[in-house]
Amino acid sequence: MEYILAKYNYWIYILLMMIGLYAMIAKNNLVKKVIGMSIFQTAIIVFYVSIGAKRGASIPIIAHGHGHDVIATAVSAAEYANPLPHVLMLTAIVVSVGTLGVALAVCLAIYRRYNSLEEDEILEQLR
Amino acid sequence: MIWQLDLLILSLIVLCALATISVKDLFSAAIIFGAYSFLMCLLWTEMGAVDVAFTEASVGAGVSTVLFVAAVFRTTRKVKDRGVKRYWTKGVGLLAATSVGGVLIAAVGDFPGFADPLSPASTHLSPYFITNTLTDTAVPNIVTSVLADYRGYDTMFETAVIFAAGLAVIAILRRSKTGVQHESREKVILSEGYEDTIIRLVARKMVPFMQLFALYVLAHGHHSPGGGFQGGVILGASFILIAISYDMKMLLGRMSEKWNVLLGNIGVLVYAGIGFVCLLLGANFLDYSILHRILPATDEIMARSHGMLGIETGVAIAVSAIVVSLYVNIASQGKHDKGL
Amino acid sequence: MIASEQAVALMVVLPLLSALVINMAGWFDRRLCFPIALFALLGSCCSAFITVSRVIKSGVIHYRLGGWAPPMGIEYVVDHLNALVLVIIFVVSLLALLFSYKSIQVELPEKILQFYTLYLLLVAGLAGMTITGDAFNLYVLMEISALTSYALIALGDKRALVASFNYIILGTIGASLYLLGVGHLYIMTGSLNMADLQTILPALLDARAIAVAFVLVMGGVWVKMAFFPMHGWLPNAYSYAPSSTSCLVAPLMTKVSVYIMIRMMFSVFNPNYIFVYLDWGRLVVPLATVAIIFGSISALAQKDLRKMLTYIIVAEVGYMVGGAWLANVTGLTGAIYHILADAMMTLCLFMVVGAIIYKLKDSSMDSMEFIFRRMPVTSVVFVIGAFAMIGIPPTCGFFSKWYLISGAIETSQWHYIFALLFSSLVNAFVFFRLFEIGFFGKKPADGHDHHAPEIAVSEAPVTMLVPMVLTALSLIAIGIYTNEIVTVLITKTLPVGL
Repeated sequence: MEYILAKYNYWIYILLMMIGLYAMIAKNNLVKKVIGMSIFQTAIIVFYVSIGAKRGASIPIIAHGHGHDVIATAVSAAEYANPLPHVLMLTAIVVSVGTLGVALAVCLAIYRRYNSLEEDEILEQLR
Repeated sequence: MIWQLDLLILSLIVLCALATISVKDLFSAAIIFGAYSFLMCLLWTEMGAVDVAFTEASVGAGVSTVLFVAAVFRTTRKVKDRGVKRYWTKGVGLLAATSVGGVLIAAVGDFPGFADPLSPASTHLSPYFITNTLTDTAVPNIVTSVLADYRGYDTMFETAVIFAAGLAVIAILRRSKTGVQHESREKVILSEGYEDTIIRLVARKMVPFMQLFALYVLAHGHHSPGGGFQGGVILGASFILIAISYDMKMLLGRMSEKWNVLLGNIGVLVYAGIGFVCLLLGANFLDYSILHRILPATDEIMARSHGMLGIETGVAIAVSAIVVSLYVNIASQGKHDKGL
Repeated sequence: MIASEQAVALMVVLPLLSALVINMAGWFDRRLCFPIALFALLGSCCSAFITVSRVIKSGVIHYRLGGWAPPMGIEYVVDHLNALVLVIIFVVSLLALLFSYKSIQVELPEKILQFYTLYLLLVAGLAGMTITGDAFNLYVLMEISALTSYALIALGDKRALVASFNYIILGTIGASLYLLGVGHLYIMTGSLNMADLQTILPALLDARAIAVAFVLVMGGVWVKMAFFPMHGWLPNAYSYAPSSTSCLVAPLMTKVSVYIMIRMMFSVFNPNYIFVYLDWGRLVVPLATVAIIFGSISALAQKDLRKMLTYIIVAEVGYMVGGAWLANVTGLTGAIYHILADAMMTLCLFMVVGAIIYKLKDSSMDSMEFIFRRMPVTSVVFVIGAFAMIGIPPTCGFFSKWYLISGAIETSQWHYIFALLFSSLVNAFVFFRLFEIGFFGKKPADGHDHHAPEIAVSEAPVTMLVPMVLTALSLIAIGIYTNEIVTVLITKTLPVGL
């Protein structure tokens, strides 16, 4: 129980990733495949953000006064969460919306040509 | 961090994920996916990743959902039932999912405990960023300083990815103007029968505030969650709101396709251009500290801060234009006649 | 004005900047697109050659982006291996650009602007993937090259859309698996820099998470390079794409993925871990054997020229993966040399098919009828390319097979040798059948004296012929200078401890 609870974020991310991967491969509807793709990508984001979490730490913005002289006092690393995974995941989110846009555009173009979003119907027309 | 809350949100997320891939109606799937993204956003705020949460709220829950809804609106919302015939693909899917899942589960045992302050990830590189961001760059938001400076090269290509996606969608969907032009114009006039005074009035009043907020998010990204991406997406969303509440023609009358793509282009160019200016001044690519030579009254540290503001502005311009362009093309199937 | 140290940065920055400039200039006048792209790639090519000579003279180059020291910031690391790959990327993309000048006007007259912009972004992405020394940065650039290639492929004929969709799904799976693998490395080590990872990893040998990271990274890269069980997306995507796209994508995408595999195996993990501790060489080489045999047999069954070539690519990926996993110096030398050889010969053959499509609007094998009389220069180029594919000296294809086979003999992987010979035989069979069709026509004399119909020479335009002839010549030149290439560049890259 201890073992499961200490790492619950990691278990959940694996579950989400499996759901996404299954949908990407097994679903017949193209938009469903794209949704699966998005779930798959967010699962990875959950994984990375979980790496960045730190017990007893604040958000990664250094407490600062207002005005011009932001005084650089000694900052203790233990006080703030790990910013690096957050940065990486900002990139990943933006990349995933780009992929999503292109995938949906291809779906629309396929629908325009084959009048269907079901994979098997499209493959039949291709034959 | 409150682990009970964490667990609750995570369970809800899994439920949403299962629901969104199993409902038979694509419109519902899109909406449930929006809910899924908002839950993600909550989870990340709760885990301290405020910038990620902000981006997910604007990009994942906002733009992605709008794109899904637009795509479903332009195609069909029905998912046909394909009961028996697809055992083979389902088998492959299950096999792939379980095998990858199995491999991943094998690794979890070796991970340091969740949120362990002594984990390698928290002790190897990140302390440098946390302790040095103020002395190196004078930017208190560590995520901004890492994003735009320490790993600014990543971010430049991330902006380029968005730009490439915008162009790709245009290349795939955009139809030439010949032939269909006249017919579609008549349709637009017919569809203008739908008018809702309340929606239009409210949208009209909201847009300036949204844009003001977008600018605040952009400009205050050095000190609080936010920055170029979030600001850009909010700015783009304000234009999408106009297109949804009025008409796509109204939007395109104010911001033509040509200008849209050019703005996206200029945004990335601002980013890459600032990097290139650094190179021309004799420093390495994207080394903003050299900019103190051309910026008045700045030292090397403040030059980094200003350089970051410059590239964030570029990012915001590019992202807002491309988000609008993605919406316009997907919602009108590349015909640019009418939206949702 | 810009010191030669900056040539390293210019290689990636020039295509990116010029993609943006093209997109702006193109809205005003489309005729500007091509010359800008040409100059940008010429500039990048020159920078690549400058960099190679610097690497040969003074060793590995490090370039700090943003001026930050490596484990914190991102750095470029150019050693002998990726200097070679960079030269391949820019030379191939320059030749393919020249080739596309005419064909794009026929295939996609309305989308010229988008085509050139996406083309240069793709080149920037590939070059960036090759040059970077940061594991996460590689993911971002992998996505930029993937996104642009999805779009470039979707612009093809009517079946291209479905092929492109499948490619999106599988390409995303591949990139995401890679990203997960990097995540596992990050959670265990806290670092993303490849050199830094390599120094930390030996202490963590026993962790299962590291093995999982390795599996995920390899799995992701294998999906990207269409290694055997994950090859499903490649044949359709590459054969239905516009020919100007496939000339760029087919020679480069799989080869860059192979390079990444080698980079991850030997510059992040180390040979001792892979071949001694995990001892997975004995699992992967048989898989490569299966890939080669499967690819060859499928190539045999095709009636369409481009489909056939794409299955040959699947087989060639098996060559390179097998060579890299043979766990000895000769095999790895063969694999690296084959990256160079295969890029050039794939380019050569795809350009020939592109020229045939341009002239005859058809890519079935029947279109090859009397090709020797109709397009003499093209067919000579075709013969040289085919000889290289089969592995006839003095073309480069022979030498790569020589190294691969000697490597396999050293470790007595007989099945892999069999697969290589089998695939050469199949290639010989396929190409000689095409020569026959091309020379004598489809049906040999049926009963009566056969006269070939009168066929006028109608050769492809000069902008297509020049890159084709250059590529064909390079196939022979690479073959002749094999020894120099191997001693000056490839042996310097081999990892210690192999």
